[in-house]
Amino acid sequence: MSEHQPKPQKVRPPRSFGWTAEYDDEHQLLEAARRVREAGYTKIDAFTPFPVHGIDTALGIRRTKLPWFSLIAGMTGTTVALLLQIWTNAIDYPYIISGKPYISLPAFIPVTFELTVLFAAFMTVFAMLGLNGLPKFSNPVFTNPKFDRASDDRFFLWVDSRDQYFNADKVRELLEATGALAVEEVREDDSPTQVPKAIYAAIAALILITLIPGAIVLNMRNSKSPYPRWHVFFDMDFQPIRKAQQPTTIFADGRVQRPPVPGTVARGELGPSDPFVLGYDPDAVAANLPAQGPSSRLVSYQQDGDEQPPAPVEPGAREQPPAPEEPPAPTPAAPDQPASSEPEAPPQQPAAATASQERPVSAEESSDGAAEQTSATAVAATDDDAVGDEEAPGAVATGDAGGEPNYAWLQTFPLEVTAELIQQGRREFEQNCAVCHGLAGYGDGLVARRAAELAQGYWLPPTSLHEQRIVEQPVGRLYYTITHGKGKMAPYADALTPTERWAIVAYIRVLQRSQNARSEDVPPGVDVAASANSDNVR
Amino acid sequence: MTTNSMVSEQTLPGTWRNKAPMLLAVGFICVLLSLGLCYFVGGDANRAIGFSVFFRSYLANFMFCLTICLGALFFVMIQHVARAGWSATVRRLAELLANMIPWWLVLFVPILAMVWFTDSPALYPWNAGSGNVSPLVEEKLRYLNPFWFTIRVLAYFTVWVVCAKWFLAQSRRQDETGDATITLRMQKWAGPGIIFSALAVNFGAFDIMMSTDPEWFSTIYGVYVFAAGMLGFFATMIVLVSLLKRSDRLQREVNTEHVHDLAKFQFGFIVFWAYIAFSQLLLYWYGNIPEETAWYHDRWGNGWQYVGLLLIVGHFALPFLATMSRASRRNQVWLAGWSGFILLMHWVDMMFLLLPTEDIHFSALLLIGHLVGWLGMVLLFSGLFMYRTGETPLVALNDPWTPAALSYEVGP
Repeated sequence: MSEHQPKPQKVRPPRSFGWTAEYDDEHQLLEAARRVREAGYTKIDAFTPFPVHGIDTALGIRRTKLPWFSLIAGMTGTTVALLLQIWTNAIDYPYIISGKPYISLPAFIPVTFELTVLFAAFMTVFAMLGLNGLPKFSNPVFTNPKFDRASDDRFFLWVDSRDQYFNADKVRELLEATGALAVEEVREDDSPTQVPKAIYAAIAALILITLIPGAIVLNMRNSKSPYPRWHVFFDMDFQPIRKAQQPTTIFADGRVQRPPVPGTVARGELGPSDPFVLGYDPDAVAANLPAQGPSSRLVSYQQDGDEQPPAPVEPGAREQPPAPEEPPAPTPAAPDQPASSEPEAPPQQPAAATASQERPVSAEESSDGAAEQTSATAVAATDDDAVGDEEAPGAVATGDAGGEPNYAWLQTFPLEVTAELIQQGRREFEQNCAVCHGLAGYGDGLVARRAAELAQGYWLPPTSLHEQRIVEQPVGRLYYTITHGKGKMAPYADALTPTERWAIVAYIRVLQRSQNARSEDVPPGVDVAASANSDNVR
Repeated sequence: MTTNSMVSEQTLPGTWRNKAPMLLAVGFICVLLSLGLCYFVGGDANRAIGFSVFFRSYLANFMFCLTICLGALFFVMIQHVARAGWSATVRRLAELLANMIPWWLVLFVPILAMVWFTDSPALYPWNAGSGNVSPLVEEKLRYLNPFWFTIRVLAYFTVWVVCAKWFLAQSRRQDETGDATITLRMQKWAGPGIIFSALAVNFGAFDIMMSTDPEWFSTIYGVYVFAAGMLGFFATMIVLVSLLKRSDRLQREVNTEHVHDLAKFQFGFIVFWAYIAFSQLLLYWYGNIPEETAWYHDRWGNGWQYVGLLLIVGHFALPFLATMSRASRRNQVWLAGWSGFILLMHWVDMMFLLLPTEDIHFSALLLIGHLVGWLGMVLLFSGLFMYRTGETPLVALNDPWTPAALSYEVGP
């Protein structure tokens, strides 16, 4: 800055900011500070390389207000933390955690403590900066090169020219009288105040450069490219894995798909042949099935140990058991497929409809669609049925799209029906079924009533178990519905054991009978009038 | 003494020391009176409870004093390990307080005697012996039995007594010789001393205090007792300095700056105590496991819950706010008053740790009995302090840090 020549147009003399006095040690400084203060000057300051005891009283520096900022900020932190936690945990979204009350103070204390400290610490730092007028990029005292020693081995006293009693000559005299090594006036920095244009240019260039990555990302996100994506982070993008039908070099046979390990039992494969578990007689169903041609299946299993060239497997080349859980894929080779327009319909013969469903399926379909519903609901119901039927394993479908599965339903219970079983069925029914179907099975459970109250349109009311078609259903059919669900009703195979399901069926039968009782049902010797009185509660 | 000392030799006021016999006599009577009062706590229906109440009350009052002296011991060693200069003029008082520890071993003898010569579960339920304790405690009897208990207690006291006497003896020798290398030696041994004393305090708290409820356990218990003791010590120091200054002692040697620093320590340990106490509570409250909450269960009913709430307010919140500002810490009267209050709360804290059980309920008679016992113990403490301190100077005379301490200034 010393080489700089003042600009010719500058006519105003450089402004004086104040005077500095330089001392050798802190005792002189303390003494000088006292004398200057006694002389009445108040806008004074000292610059020392280390904290000097007593300098605050010598300079007459008042206690800082900083602690009050910290205290108030700390209390604000406490309040904010408590309100935040109470509001979020107890008012806006009441949420029980660990079985504690919504407002459980012990759990709130750690966060409260942290926020108190955080608020107080931030406020202390920023209030300190604010009270000190920081950040400040320059101070006129720095124009004096000697001042650098204030952070090394010299002590400076400062009298500000804004002091109300300030008089340059008197201040100089006073400071000289204190035994200062040097007394100097601090003048306005005569270096140019203009920021060099190169700095602006550099800042602009920096801003532009920082925009480039963002621009590239934006461009790449909004455009298509024939090239693969940039892999900044590889994550798990590159692995020696292949998609289902791709070749691989990892396995000797060159195939990606691996056959099941010998002895694997797939889900649903276990015990499907027991009518007790199924609700229908699979042998009877199988007897009604047409002989399946070798081309009726697209996918085949490779048996273990079955040597197989890596050549593509010919569709339908080998025998395989039916996959019970999955709908058989549509078979293009089946010429007699009646529902080819309905790809999800199983490849079955319409003539196979031999089992117990006497009524035409279409009629049942319409009754299933509950005439009193809006048409939209009816459509939804039909769709749901169709979806539900997909799950029917090897269903002997009638061929009608979305029709009821038509199995060789069990007509009688495959277990002994005892009073105990019925009691168990009642328990299970009231626990699992009654919420929708109602305690008496009229489809007026709490959920159903609530849904009807809300009247949101898309609710499909639960079926009344006393509808004629339900009453007529064989027990196997009821059991099948419990097992696999129906429409909106979820399957209960996972929740209830077969015995429990049969127990529920037994109890449904009891319910149905109870609502359609005839006088012959009354055991001899029972006073009907008396029991009617006591049963009038319903 | 040498003549180059910067501080004048001062001893305890003669009027204080003249009262020592009376203090001891009244203290002893008060302890006996406490035994009488506690005996009736259970009423005619439950005489056994009275015995239990007295021993628990005695132990609580005993720990009130012992933790203060242990805090003093730690303070001395911390000053050396940190090479603190400011504390050179107050350190001797802490050394004298720590020098009281041998007397606490003497006052522990009644408890040891009870453990040795009876199988009373009045204080330590494990003392009933095998077959008379719950299955949980049965498993712990290999550790909690009279023989090993005595061995361990003696080991803890050995560590404390050796540290306390050694640091006082070294400091006293420096009074005579002015040898600065003694300071270096003390600084060298303060580190190991802290480690051993801390372990002794931790396990001592487990054995002497926590085993009054042998089914319960808390790993932070020792730290809790340490925090309580440190706080009690700083409060004692501030009160003691204040009383000595009123008796025209330590006028120049201990000034507002030193008291201010003691107050800062005290403030720090107010928070530390609360932090530790809450850490223990939070984990047990959240886990909510019966074997861990049983201890709190005893303390959250039968009137003890109000004592617990009083601790939150009186042991933490009030002194925390009252001694927070700089001005409050430099006001001797205000500060000494709050330090006295903290000592009262330290007593309540010890009561809360040791007295409540399933059978011992809070009652006015219990409080009075316990309070009289406390009075007795504090009088014994004071009287013994007079005897034991005797003519020992209250300020280290030739400590090389003395100039630093005398010119010490906290800063704005």
